[in-house]
Amino acid sequence: MKDIIKTLTEISSPSGREDTIAEKIVEILDGNFDEYWRDKLGNLIVLKKGKTGKKVLLDAHMDEIGVVVTNIDENGFLRIEAVGGVNPYTLVGSRVRFQNNVVGVIGIEGESFRSSRENMKNLSFDVLFVDIGAKNKEDALKKVKIGSFGTYDASFHDLGDKLVSKAMDDRIGCAVMVQLLKELEEPLNDVYCVFAVQEEIGLVGATVAGYDIEPDVVIAIDVTAHGDTPKALKRIPMKLGDGPALKVMDAYSISDRKVLEFLEELAKKENIPYQIEILPFGGTDAAAYQRLKAGVPSATVSIVTRYVHTPSEMVDYNDVLNTVKLLKSFVNSEFLF
Amino acid sequence: MFLSELSTIAGVSGNESKVRDFIKKTIENKVDELYEDKMGNLIALKKSKTQSSKGRFAFFAHMDEVGFMVTRINEDGKLSIHPVGGVDARLLPGKRLKIGEKGTPGVVGLKAIHLQDNLDNVPSYQSLKVDIGVNKKSEAEKLVSVGDYAIFDVPFEEYSKHLIGKAFDDRGGCSLMMDLIFEDLKLPFDVYFAFVVQEEIGLRGSGVAAEEIKPDIAIVLETTTAGDNPELEEYKWATHIGDGPAITFMHRGYVVNKKVYEWIVDTAEKKGIKYQLKRRTAGGTDALSVSKRLFGIPAGVVSIPCRYIHSPSSVMYKDDYFDTLNLLKALLEEGEVILS
Repeated sequence: MKDIIKTLTEISSPSGREDTIAEKIVEILDGNFDEYWRDKLGNLIVLKKGKTGKKVLLDAHMDEIGVVVTNIDENGFLRIEAVGGVNPYTLVGSRVRFQNNVVGVIGIEGESFRSSRENMKNLSFDVLFVDIGAKNKEDALKKVKIGSFGTYDASFHDLGDKLVSKAMDDRIGCAVMVQLLKELEEPLNDVYCVFAVQEEIGLVGATVAGYDIEPDVVIAIDVTAHGDTPKALKRIPMKLGDGPALKVMDAYSISDRKVLEFLEELAKKENIPYQIEILPFGGTDAAAYQRLKAGVPSATVSIVTRYVHTPSEMVDYNDVLNTVKLLKSFVNSEFLF
Repeated sequence: MFLSELSTIAGVSGNESKVRDFIKKTIENKVDELYEDKMGNLIALKKSKTQSSKGRFAFFAHMDEVGFMVTRINEDGKLSIHPVGGVDARLLPGKRLKIGEKGTPGVVGLKAIHLQDNLDNVPSYQSLKVDIGVNKKSEAEKLVSVGDYAIFDVPFEEYSKHLIGKAFDDRGGCSLMMDLIFEDLKLPFDVYFAFVVQEEIGLRGSGVAAEEIKPDIAIVLETTTAGDNPELEEYKWATHIGDGPAITFMHRGYVVNKKVYEWIVDTAEKKGIKYQLKRRTAGGTDALSVSKRLFGIPAGVVSIPCRYIHSPSSVMYKDDYFDTLNLLKALLEEGEVILS
């Protein structure tokens, strides 16, 4: 499964520009589904039919955070703005890659030592620029346009149990669903896997993806924060390697109690390690599904991730495998939601 | 163009009836269907004669404008106010307002410059008081009530090719829709025009209208910030007056559907219509609320660039308005491509 994670994380597909990742997912799935389609906003929906007629919707978002070109000056330098939660500090000294694979280096303005220090102290996108090695504006325009989207330029590394890459958020969720679809023979319930668009800028895809499906239950699979590095957030218990995290609550949603308890019982029964997650900030697509039409019981299963929204997001491979196991068991369970 | 009439009508968010009545009266003989929904959105339909393309297309523009509300009548007869939508408090001192249904005149009080010892003080809504020429609460109560809306009292003016006035955001969009209704276009599909309410306080009307119309594709028509001020370096400008309609690729909370965005840009290119891309991503439009309704509605955004929006003196370049109108006409003629 590591090869799937590598392939999916290395693709550059920020919010609103998900065609590349969607095509790659369909290719890797290699026919392991009954049907697939892209809805009006571009969500990729993959269906594997079951026997009961109950509909389980699993969701992972396929977009990632990134940048967009907003200006190109006479000397060929680009100005960018964030697509989703990109911290400008993570850009300094690093590189971005545009969707056509043009790579640019991030530079920072500073006309004196004092202004350089000041710019660094109160860093904003206003003082950053991108150098794509262009001679001038005309030359730059051959490579990018205003409105070109890009992402961090970073590659996948296998550190053994730990895996590092950009865009683990949320390609790791996508990888879990891809692996699940490959492993499922004939599930008990209908399984709709939604690879959602535009999560990072406001749960856009997930707000509409369930409209025509009308699922009985939804599980969002996404990354969550960690508490196991030096002086990490001290009120957060989550650790890499302790298993899938069952989310009780974050800033956008409270997981449906029955679904949460069902997942917990299931993990105990199947001897799958798990941990309980409470996140005082952030949110997942579950928040959107929960309020769909007359409401859908929804919960989130998280993969604990270090350094979220940086070019080097780290997960534990065993957590990933155990998440696949737990969800596989879930879609094959009888339940009354 | 109906901007001179639309600009001077009072229609702060939640109180759009006068704008709605004017639009209704003007277009009622030019459309096939016209109704007002429960929230106050006005929805018009122009049917296609050929029906050569199935599907529904919708334009959205908001009728409401930013303004103020009277929150308290003080013992000395002066009024406390609160903004409805985003209005910079620094704009207010010394300005004239029209208050309530009767349009009672008022002046936002300020300390004369002779008495100021610190001109760096920034006014806030806590400190601003409106003077309506009375000195007692009981007298003020004869003229205004708590809950009355207020607007800047400014005329619409035109000099050389520039238009100046309040509420161009988004009466500019409303005027474009009215012009499109008056044009005798060969529509390949049915076109809905949604004049919506309460955009300025959180995109509240458009989603409801979208739910009723159920369009396959929507375009939100806006009047957007230029930000091409001389003190700003050019790369910080959002748009530039005179460079034509602004096409948005992304704004707060929504990346414009790629197909719709490229269709608008390609159409402008193909028809040789002047256009520019909006070069800042801050701020949102009704495209955010429309796109998230129902099964998802791909929505684009086309705006007339405008200086000093949300102030009493918005400045619009007349050619930008007509370039925008030409782009929209071209889109309707080419619309089949994207709806099929």
